[in-house]
Amino acid sequence: MSQLDINNMKNPKRAKYWWTFTGVTIFMAVLYYVAFTETRLQAQRSIWESGPLLKRFFWDPFFMSEIHAKIPEYFGYMMETVAIAYAGTLMGAILAIPVGFLAARNVGGHFTFVGKAILNAVRAFPEILFAIIFVAAVGMGPFAGVLAISINSIGMLGKLYSEVIESIDMEIISTLKATGASKLQVLVYGVIPQVIPEFSSYALYRYEIDVRSSSVLGIVGAGGIGAPLILAANQRNFEEVGMMLFIIVLTVTVIDLISTNIRKRLV
Amino acid sequence: MIEFRNVSLTYPNGHQGLKNINLEIKEGEFVVIVGLSGAGKSTLIRSINQMVKPTEGELLIDGENTLKFSDRKLRKFRRNIGMIFQNYNLVKRSSVLRNVLAGRLGHTGTLRSILSLFSQADVRLALHSLERVGIAEKAYIRADQLSGGQQQRVSIARALTQQPKLILADEPVASLDPPTSHAVMKDLQRINKEDAITMVVNLHAIDLSMQYADRIIGLRNGEVVFDGPASSVSEKTFEDIYGRPIKEDDLVGDASNE
Repeated sequence: MSQLDINNMKNPKRAKYWWTFTGVTIFMAVLYYVAFTETRLQAQRSIWESGPLLKRFFWDPFFMSEIHAKIPEYFGYMMETVAIAYAGTLMGAILAIPVGFLAARNVGGHFTFVGKAILNAVRAFPEILFAIIFVAAVGMGPFAGVLAISINSIGMLGKLYSEVIESIDMEIISTLKATGASKLQVLVYGVIPQVIPEFSSYALYRYEIDVRSSSVLGIVGAGGIGAPLILAANQRNFEEVGMMLFIIVLTVTVIDLISTNIRKRLV
Repeated sequence: MIEFRNVSLTYPNGHQGLKNINLEIKEGEFVVIVGLSGAGKSTLIRSINQMVKPTEGELLIDGENTLKFSDRKLRKFRRNIGMIFQNYNLVKRSSVLRNVLAGRLGHTGTLRSILSLFSQADVRLALHSLERVGIAEKAYIRADQLSGGQQQRVSIARALTQQPKLILADEPVASLDPPTSHAVMKDLQRINKEDAITMVVNLHAIDLSMQYADRIIGLRNGEVVFDGPASSVSEKTFEDIYGRPIKEDDLVGDASNE
């Protein structure tokens, strides 16, 4: 055994680290170069024109009585949006449970890959695509929005649920089995209490996301505030657009605050 | 009566947990199994209720070979065996009472238990079990609010609530301090005497084994290397079982500061 020379010790991985660092830096630089040269980054309008336009979005709406008169109507649309998100998240949060269990390695067994495949397939689509599909399938309106939101929520919640299930204490499961409990009893007494707080916390978090995304779904005709929003934008009624954006931001912020507060108490 | 006949257990990775075990444990006995960690204590105790399944031999309980049981029969058979673990294995977010009532699951219909419709008698039995280990007043508190010693008592109460013929305890005091260790061992001893429930307890502390056991079984490398009444055991016996001199760590100490 040779004596360690503490004064002249070197990290043996140092050279490798510098090579990696240099390599990654060069790679990123090339990527940025390509991105900037290939993208046309000129504004289509001069800076001087966009100033007044932004003012029409974010300043004027608050001082125009005809816009004020429309606020209750916009709030009505926003409530519809919030309701679409609620129905969609609730449906998704419940449907995600069986998929999550199927996808969890410690429960799904040989069929885990089925659950994982379902979840990956769902998450490959953005919501707006589901919305387009469902608008075509069930017609324009909030129902299409609810379906789009719920399917998309299954993708994310199922994945998060399956991770929660994989992290539970399996010793408790075998302990309950050792008392002679049946599979269903083990589920209710051993698994559910271990996962319920995380499940509800994730569902709430997903609700925050869904309120935001259901504001947009109306653009393709899936109900909520998105439809009047895109209509006003196309008619260049930017003051109306501005007021609707303000209402969306306000509502989303309030819901985020409430939901974050509840989630803190859950886990 | 529990009877091991040429029982061996080989794990899927090829490790041999038990080698040709032949043992008889009579009803009402307080048996302590000792050995170093890795000697097969856990495997031996867990093979009795088939949390691990022996790969060879016969394991007779009241004359029936339990290794041949169907799933359904195994579940019925397990109702009569309480089990206590080093880490208590309570559902931490559930109340103490709900944890204890879990001991009735095998006796309760699936539908009733899912709806938490335990009979009045079962609830009273659960509370009585808690009373016997001295923590009835904690019944409605969440299990994770309790100290280690209290949690272990909850798990004893859960085992009691099964109204078992046999209680298996796998290193029940290894995570507890000396006074609490003695208190828990005394609980087990009392239950053994009062209810005539057979106790099979894994321990590695020499002094605890000698103090509470009727009979001591020594394991080394998956084989029984000693089997005799606790009265016949000395430190020399343990040196033989462990295959090395006794160290300070092998003792828990007395309950003087209890």
